[in-house]
Order: sequence, then C-alpha cells, then structure tokens
Amino acid sequence: MKLAKKDLNKALEILSAGAIVFAPTFEMIEDKSEGGQTMAEKKFMPYKEGMFIALDGPNTVKPPKDILFPNVEKMYRYKTGVNAEIQEIIPEDTKKILFGIRPCDMRSIDSMDKVFLTKEYVDSYYAKRRENVVTVAFGCTEPERTCFCDSMGIDPNNAPSADVMMNVAKGSNGDAFILEAYTDKGKELLEQIKSLDGGAGEAQRDTKCQLQINKDPELDKKLAGMFEHPIWDKITKGCIGCGTCTFVCPTCYCFDIDNENYGAEGCKYRCWDSCMFSDYTRMAGGANPRPTKKERLRNRYMHKLSYFNERYGETLCVGCGRCVANCPSHLDISEFIEKATAADPNAETYTDAPGKEA
Amino acid sequence: MAVDHECSCNKNPLVPSLCKVIAVKQETPDIQTYTIQTLDGKKPFSPLPGQLAMISLLGVGEAMFSITAQGEDYIQSAIKRTGMLTEEFHQMQPGQEIGVRGPYGNHFPIDDLKGHDILFIGGGVGIAPVRSMIRYAFEHREDFGHIDILYGARSSNDICFKEDCLEDWPKQPDTNVYITTDVPSDDWDGHVGFVPSYIEEVGFKPEGKKVVLCGPPIMIKLGSASLLKLGFAKEDIITTLELRMKCGIGKCGRCNIGSKFVCLDGPVFTLSELDELPDEK
Amino acid sequence: MAGLTEAQVQDRIREEAKKALATGEVSAVVGWTSTRFEDKTKPYFAETEAECDLLVWNKYCINGTGKFALDDRYPEKKIAIIARGCDSRALNRMLRDKQLKRENLYIIGVVCDGKENAVCEGCQHKNPLTYDVLIGEPVEEQIDADRFKEIEAFEKLSPDERYEYWAKQYDKCIHCYACRNACPACNCVECYADQYRTGWQGKAADREQNQVYGLTRAYHVGDRCIECGECERVCPMNLPIMRQTKKMLKDINDLFGDYECGLPDDAMPILGSYKLEDPDEFM
Repeated sequence: MKLAKKDLNKALEILSAGAIVFAPTFEMIEDKSEGGQTMAEKKFMPYKEGMFIALDGPNTVKPPKDILFPNVEKMYRYKTGVNAEIQEIIPEDTKKILFGIRPCDMRSIDSMDKVFLTKEYVDSYYAKRRENVVTVAFGCTEPERTCFCDSMGIDPNNAPSADVMMNVAKGSNGDAFILEAYTDKGKELLEQIKSLDGGAGEAQRDTKCQLQINKDPELDKKLAGMFEHPIWDKITKGCIGCGTCTFVCPTCYCFDIDNENYGAEGCKYRCWDSCMFSDYTRMAGGANPRPTKKERLRNRYMHKLSYFNERYGETLCVGCGRCVANCPSHLDISEFIEKATAADPNAETYTDAPGKEA
Repeated sequence: MAVDHECSCNKNPLVPSLCKVIAVKQETPDIQTYTIQTLDGKKPFSPLPGQLAMISLLGVGEAMFSITAQGEDYIQSAIKRTGMLTEEFHQMQPGQEIGVRGPYGNHFPIDDLKGHDILFIGGGVGIAPVRSMIRYAFEHREDFGHIDILYGARSSNDICFKEDCLEDWPKQPDTNVYITTDVPSDDWDGHVGFVPSYIEEVGFKPEGKKVVLCGPPIMIKLGSASLLKLGFAKEDIITTLELRMKCGIGKCGRCNIGSKFVCLDGPVFTLSELDELPDEK
Repeated sequence: MAGLTEAQVQDRIREEAKKALATGEVSAVVGWTSTRFEDKTKPYFAETEAECDLLVWNKYCINGTGKFALDDRYPEKKIAIIARGCDSRALNRMLRDKQLKRENLYIIGVVCDGKENAVCEGCQHKNPLTYDVLIGEPVEEQIDADRFKEIEAFEKLSPDERYEYWAKQYDKCIHCYACRNACPACNCVECYADQYRTGWQGKAADREQNQVYGLTRAYHVGDRCIECGECERVCPMNLPIMRQTKKMLKDINDLFGDYECGLPDDAMPILGSYKLEDPDEFM
C-alpha cells in the first residue's frame, strides 16, 4: 500500500488503538537554568498523539532491543525465611508494534531470536514479549558515515524478516511510503490502516552504506585460528573497558542475574551485562579467565565475528555502526575487520606501521 | 558431548522450585554437603552423573554446583566455602528453604565408559562431581571393569567424603583406592604428595581404561600431563570444568569458551575436545 | 601555537617518542593516531620506531592519555605519556593518590592551545605542569572567569526543578561506566561498583541505581576532580556529568577558598583531610 507522509500520524493513531506503537522520535530534556540548552535524544518511544516521527536521519543511539529484552527484567518475586515463596513474574501481555526499525536492527532481532528461542531452552520472558511484537521496518534513506551493514551482508533497503517493510515511494521525494506485508501479522496490520491507502507505487530501494569495508567472506573461519594472534595485543590497547559498545549494540544479549531485597521479600531480576566488565567472568575465589581488556575485547570481537557464526550460522555484527560512533576511545570494529582480513594468520608479531608486518 | 536433559519447555527454566535442606554434613573445615528435597519430600529432579544444579539462597544469590549424589527422594551437593555467597550457604541449617533449578549441562559419557576399566581422579572439592559417577559405577558394578580411585586432599583434615574414601570404596569388589595428602600430619599414615606425581608413581596402565578427572585447574593440567606421559589418549581423559555461570541454559553469555557454553555444552569435556577450544579456561 | 606549527609539534612528538623508546627503558609511548574519520583520533600505544610515525597531533587529539598509565600498575618498564596540560594534571592526580610511581613514567609534555572539545574553552592549564621533556613554548595561562557560571545558573532553579532535570538525565544513563573508566580521579584498584557481591551498587540500569552510582562517584571524585571533562565527553547518553563534580568544586571553593586539583604541589584532597580551622557551620 501507499501511505502519504502527512497520514503517518493518522496511521499510528489507528494502530495505537490496539497496541502500543513504538516509533523513533526525539525526547527532549529541558534545562530551565539561564543559558541552559535543551537536549534531544533520538529513541523509540510509545506513540502519543501528535508525536514527531523521526524516520529519517541517524538511527537511534540505543537500539530498540529493550522492547524485547528490557534492560531490567523482573523474573520472580520471593519471600525468604520460614515460609519462603517463589512467584514467577510473567511479562505483561501487551501487543506492541515496533515501527520504523532499521534493517540492521531487524537483523539483530533475528539473532536474538536464535539465542533466546533455540538451542535446547526457550527463554520464557523473551518468547512472551516476542510473540506480542509486530515489526514495521523502514528502509534507510540517509545512512551515517559509520554505517556498514551492506558490508556485513545486510541490505539497508530491505528487512526480509520484518512483518511489514516500508520504503520511501519512488519519485515521491520522501512524501509517501510504500508498505508491503511480509507475514500474516503484517497483513493484519496493513488491513487496519487500509483506509489511508493511496494506491500502488514502487518502493525506492537504492540506498548504499557510506562506509564500505573490505571483509574476508570467510573471516569467521580465519579468526577461529587467530585466538593467539598478536593483533589482539595491539588493537585492544586503547580500550578503556567500559560497557558502551555492548549497551549500544543491537545484538549484545548477555545478561546478569541479581537480587533486589526489601526486608524479607525481594525480586530476582536480570539486567544487561557487559563482557567488557571485569566481574563478568570473575569467579567466587577471585580467579578470572579474562583478566585484562585484551581477553575481554578479544572475546567480544570473536563472539561477534566467529563464535556466533559457528554456533548459529550467522555473524553477530550487523554493521549498524553504533559502537563505532560511540566508543569513548574511537575503537572501530569495522577497522578491526579490515585489519584481520589483511593480517597473516600465522604472523608472530603485529604492527600497524605500514610495510612492517612480520 | 551430547546434551541430554529433562525437557523443561513447559516451565520457565530460569525460575527455581522451592526446596529444603534436610541435612547438613560437615565434610571438612570448609566443605559441607547438603541433602535437598522438595517441600513435599520428593526428589527435585533426577540428574545424570556430572550434571549441575543452580542453587539459590533467596535474597542472597545463586550459584551453580555439581550434584554429588542422589537417592530415591533427594539430591546432594557438596559446597566449598570460597566467597561471600558460599559463606552464606555455610550458615544453613536443616529446614532451610532454598531455590533449586536444573539439572543443567551434559553428563559423564556413561555409554562410552561402560565396559571399560575406570580410573577416577579427584583433587580437593573436585571429588564432588566425580563422586556422582563413582556412585553410578558402583550401583551398576557389572557394567564396568576394574575401578581405581585416586584422591588427593590438602591434608588428612581436608579429605572430603571420608567414609567413602577410607572405608566404603576400598571394600568394593575389584576396586583400588589411592588417597594422598599434599602435606604430612600426625594422624595420617597414608601417602603424602601431589596428585600428578602420585599418578605416575602408581603407574596406571592405559589399556582398556578411561579416566574421569576433576580438581583445581592446576591439578587438571598437571594430572593430564602425567596421564599422557603414561600413554593415555586425550579422548580417554574426561574432565569437568567450572566457570562463572548465571543462567545455566546457554543464554547469558559468560561461561563461553570459544563458541561452547560450559553450562550447556559442558561441563564434561574430553581433553581432545578441550584441545579444540581456545585456551581460556 | 606559540612558536611551532601543528605539523612541527607532530614531528617533535614523533622524535621524542622515538628517543624515549630508544633508551630501552620505555615499553610504549601513549599518544594519538588517526582513524578513518578525519575529525577523530584515537589513543595509541606506539611500541616501535615505525609506530612512532603513526602518532599525530591535531585539533582532534581530545582523548585523555594519562589514565592509560594505570593499565599496568606494576610495569616492568616505564610508560611514556604524551601529556597536554590536562593529561599532566591527570598524572599528578594519580601520583598524588599513590596509584602510580613517578619513576615508572616518562612524560612528554606538549603545550596545547585547545582542541575541538567544549571543555577546552575554560582551560586554565594549557602548559603541562609536570614533564620530563617539553614540546612547544609555554603560553600565558588564562583565568576562566566562567568556571562556575553554569553551576550558578543551575543553582537558581528550585529543588524540584533540579530533581526533575536530574531524574530525566538518570533515566537515560545506561550504566556503562565510561565516565568512571575515563576519569583519572576514578583510580581505585577496585571500584566499589565492581564489588558486586557487597550489594552496594545494584547492576540494574534504572533511575534509582543510576542515581546511586552517579552520586557516589560525584562525591568520591568531587574534591579530586581535575576538570578534564572526560566523563562528560565519553558519555554515550550525553549526561552533563561535569555539572555534579563542578558543583562539588564550587562548594569547596566557597567554603575553603581557591581550590584546584592536579597541580604538582597538590595537598591532601580537601574532603579527605581535616584541619582545626576548617569551616564548620554545617555541624
């Protein structure tokens, strides 16, 4: 179907009747002091009447993964002591529409589906949230300079696993969109807004990433043999060991489990964790198999580019560029991919200096 | 090794069942064994030898432990005091209600072990997971050949499962038990020395024999070296690993070694399987 | 810059870096190198003569270099740090806090006239304060008359307005600890927040736990902050973190007189020491 841009809010209004619609917008934080500046953060927020929908431009700072995998998920309540109790907490049964998710982020949901829904165990919390979500993906129009999804095998114009794919209509100059249902859930969604259908049209799908990187198509296998490679010493030196890359990453799914107590009652929750933190693998006695940032960053890159491929058959980096844009030390996974692609896997030493690789 | 566990598809695998500790036994100054039952007096689940249980002290925390033994209506776990959480565990008295979920992980390869002589090697609290397999072997004695058990503790005071090691196991048919302590003491007239050198001293023969080995990382490393020196093949040496685990179901991420998760693909690995994995244990 | 062009400073940095490595006493020289983006550089450890030629000096050299000296608390060799004024204050901070030994450092000071970084506008120390070798001619320092202007304006808001503002900021926080890890005053061997079994700091990134963390950190670094602005620069969620530490510094200045940290002759951090003549109206 064809949807005029001026009808976008109308469409979300209709959809909001039966679901919470999350769409990219700007949240403003006003500083009322003299000379204070209002801050704007682009993020997915529940649709409210008249909300500005920020489809174009840069992607959100944080990925929308928290709609399926919240930063804090309460798992069960308990009472301690003599009459102890355990009571499971089940996520609310609310239909949600994830509107305007980019192809890179949609692809990250595919990966999370594999993690949480396959391999012996189904994660109840994720499964519950996932079945309630309908996705409307939006083809990128203005990739950022840090975007390299097409080098990672993702089409910035199309998200095959979305329920509905939405693109700018060809020749409309951005004033109309073409929406195509890919699933039954998607058909149902389009059915709801068919009163706004402006007829047929063709989707504009010619966006290319700004950043094109040189990646060995078999990099996962090459890296599997580079665990002890000297490149890790070199490329991890500038890391400051914070969790920024993991928390802005759409595919980082690792979590911690902890308690929150109120007297003799409490709640067990899980929350996002970062493999970049020292306590992530530290054992009760103090021993740590990944004692420094070298081992931690190596594990993160290996997980993204090799381990996940081996376990689930796909790479875990979707090239969204968020870690590249936000790393305090300006470390760049795309640069690592290029360096690892160029590196001699059997080298004894490694240097960045040109012509000096041993 | 293939994963084989009770299907928990209908149940939230991250929520424990309420159980209670019905007995606490002080094994050594820093190891206690807890006998655990459901609130209505049943066995929480039926683990296979080598599998793990996530035990939680509500309001304090939870951690993964190996299941050392099981009976008709209970499971047992031996826990060593090593940190703040286990310190709290050691305050438990019979009647304490706890959360238990599991069983997790793979198990010792019973089918591969059947029909072979078995050499069990344990060091310190590392005897705990090995004990589940030793007990299985004695319960199914006819399925296995000759059994050797070699166990090393810090001192005679630190010998875990004393009755088993010193009385019951030596009496079992076609079984030899070798106990050693790292340091001598007045009340100990047995062997003194470290496990790896004792392995070589006894000079076990590799023919027809498989090894189940568990202990602190350094003992696994040096003990394996001793076994290889005696001619054992890497695929016949089976060990069980311990890393920090949280979810137990291969999701939370932290217990990976390469692409494998210790909580799901392990904790039991052969040395040849470990050789395939990055050196990050 | 006084005397030298950007390119000349860069040449001098490379030259001094090579000299330092050539002594055999230095394991690496920490400076900046280029990235694929023209307007970004990244921290870089030059470990060979050839790698020294990858060190750059331009207006985008904004990352603090000092904190990297803490990567190895028991180094076999010295580490060389290319230090602007702020980096030298960072090193002084860690030396004063007894987290580093001066004999393990080789400091290549560089006079800096500010980078593409908002915090540089109020810089009061363009000249490195502590160094083994200095690149560039020292310039005249300026006093930042607006050092606490933003704080004064914010103090005029009502407590409710201020709370609302901070609550929204802490709702954004993702609990990544970038501010802590970039901060030269956050130099504890083990941060309280990493002592996960103590229950002091919850791991959940919700408003409550984020506020506990933010306030604890602000108080812990408040009288030791060198005003380098790294906390605020690295924050991926753009929290105005300096507003907290500067509030602490402003109150300290109001109560105890002129106070600035990271100078070579730093006394004990003011809140960590007691003097009979300390003001005590609050007691």
